[in-house]
Amino acid sequence: MLNLSFRYDQTAVRLQVEGLPDFSAGHGDGALGILSGWRLQLVGSPELEGKLEHLQALMAAVLPYSRHRISGVSRAFGDETSVVVISPVGDRHQLLLRSSQPNVPPLTLHLDDAELADLVRCLDDLRLDSRVQVHWELPMDYPLPRKELAERVPLGQRLAAPLMGGAALVLVAGLGLLLPVPRNPDGTLSPATPNAPELQSRSDR
Amino acid sequence: MINATTTSDPSSTVQSQKPFEQKQSGVQSNTVLGRRGLERLDLLLLVVESLDLNGGEAMLWATNQLGLQKQFPNRVELWKRRCHNPLRRATRRGELSSIDTEALLRLLCFMASRLYPLLHQLLSSREPEELNLQRWTLLDQRLRDLIEERMNPRRGAVQLLLSPEQSQPIQRELVLTLALAAGNGGVDRLRASLLDPTP
Repeated sequence: MLNLSFRYDQTAVRLQVEGLPDFSAGHGDGALGILSGWRLQLVGSPELEGKLEHLQALMAAVLPYSRHRISGVSRAFGDETSVVVISPVGDRHQLLLRSSQPNVPPLTLHLDDAELADLVRCLDDLRLDSRVQVHWELPMDYPLPRKELAERVPLGQRLAAPLMGGAALVLVAGLGLLLPVPRNPDGTLSPATPNAPELQSRSDR
Repeated sequence: MINATTTSDPSSTVQSQKPFEQKQSGVQSNTVLGRRGLERLDLLLLVVESLDLNGGEAMLWATNQLGLQKQFPNRVELWKRRCHNPLRRATRRGELSSIDTEALLRLLCFMASRLYPLLHQLLSSREPEELNLQRWTLLDQRLRDLIEERMNPRRGAVQLLLSPEQSQPIQRELVLTLALAAGNGGVDRLRASLLDPTP
């Protein structure tokens, strides 16, 4: 049986996948269709390994995180039930990995920007490798909605324009109220539309 | 059992770029950037020039490697496309066509892949602090010179880029953007980012 192993290297990250061709799906000898395991080595961190679902979870967290990060949006991906959670912590990126084994505490890694870029490049190389015929369920890279982008702008800056607009409106309205109402010589208020009856009578004719 | 191990060489991804026409098939065909996208794209190319002292020549070489001679047959044509950036001193009206945008995106990502070791050094916290500070200072000086030379200093965004206090986080963001735009998946990621709406 042909056991295949592909390796993706960057300066601080090495990702290795192992598996077999899926002949039932019509894959050739050199194509990896069934992923049996993977190993990830990050410089200065313990080696990680797992099965397809763990790698899928890693990709599903890290790649959307990097997509947001390139747009300047820092937000966490993954929740309390996720196998992999990545979140911004200061100027670093915290990768939290939960083991599927019972009584094994979660592993936390802190990556700097360079290590994150290396990890993203390795995952990109893997998912776009034509020799690896595994179907990855990953979201496409789309432009972010306006709401998510608004969060990167500080609250004060976001509120400045509407607050200044509102203040200008109130100021103009206040100044308008200060204008004196035109009065007749005898002190009574002049009619609002003195020519209106005349116009009406002309149109009646 | 037969074991077959293959290593993917990161540099081979740069060398084995296919001509532009062949790569167009799986590409979003209507990539028309807005004002912010054009500003950012040109600024990222400016960062590439700051990192690579021979950046202008390297870009021309890269256009040949990528099969982009039709879009950018010479340095002037490349400059004309980049002048769609509204922050430039000599700016061109109208929007950049989707073919030209795609070509510039591919060129930028190719250059980012080529300069990736430098980007990695700048972003790494494992590098000696003093040495990295000097690298950032050099980048800052070169980028500042290029911005003063080519951008309209009356624009607020340009003043922000030249401001000593506020330019540093912007420069770091730009370098990180280039690092995340390098490699195989970088083009799609960067394209989506440049198409973001204005918040």
